[in-house]
Amino acid sequence: MLAYARLVLICLLLFLALTENVELSNIVLGALIGILVAVILKPAPESLSIRRLPVALFNLARYTAWLAVDIIRNGIRVARIVLDPKLPIRPGILAIKSDMKTELGIALNAHAITVTPGEQVVEIGEDGTLYTHCLDVVASAAGAEAAQRTRRRLMEGIFE
Amino acid sequence: MLETIAYAAAILAVVVGTLFSIVGIIGLVRLPDVYTRLHAAGKVSTFGVALLAVAAVLAVPYAWSRGLLLIVLVLLAGPVVSHVIGSVAYRTGVPMRGAVRDDLAGRISPASRDAVRAMHEQEQV
Repeated sequence: MLAYARLVLICLLLFLALTENVELSNIVLGALIGILVAVILKPAPESLSIRRLPVALFNLARYTAWLAVDIIRNGIRVARIVLDPKLPIRPGILAIKSDMKTELGIALNAHAITVTPGEQVVEIGEDGTLYTHCLDVVASAAGAEAAQRTRRRLMEGIFE
Repeated sequence: MLETIAYAAAILAVVVGTLFSIVGIIGLVRLPDVYTRLHAAGKVSTFGVALLAVAAVLAVPYAWSRGLLLIVLVLLAGPVVSHVIGSVAYRTGVPMRGAVRDDLAGRISPASRDAVRAMHEQEQV
């Protein structure tokens, strides 16, 4: 039931964001659409406690902020590489071990790597290893482990 | 006062977003192969589109929630697209130019590689 309620709420918020109209009739319409989506999708019941929600949201905000800083830093790094007359790229594929347990965790991890410029997950192995193509594989390999540890710590705060 | 600050921030976002888009396009032209070019193209979507949407949210008083939603969706979908392009390129055997290191070499299962290749050939016929 809780999973249904959550899905309806998410759909309602999305609908309100899209229509930008918070009249009662529009809210009712959004809720009805949300219920329709929930009935069609049948979300699996999962254990989630409402008490953990503020902590999870706070950790999500912290993770987003860290990701934004990482994106900007790597964006400037890639811009410098591209604009350098010598084009100093050392491309290659690097295996990064992802210790996330759930599929959603692995997907989020791969997304976090891919969204930063200069690194991109090309393939995901059976054991969750992320094969990442890097513009500068030497520099990325040097910093990969520390970055992965930070990512993992921040993401664990969201899920557990 | 607040409006002026928001407007100045919007102008800054437009300028920075456009600069990063230009750099991304330069990279698209200069870089040697599909994998490295994906990095440059991905930058246009993360910086270019997202910053232009930020500018729109700051400068235009209405439609801000739609703008934020657009940013979130672009940041969620862009990496997925470039991952798929890179993955298919690797499976169809597009070579990496000047690769220093390849941890993935020989790890793609032959069955899945052949399946992608067969699809590719079918499309060309």
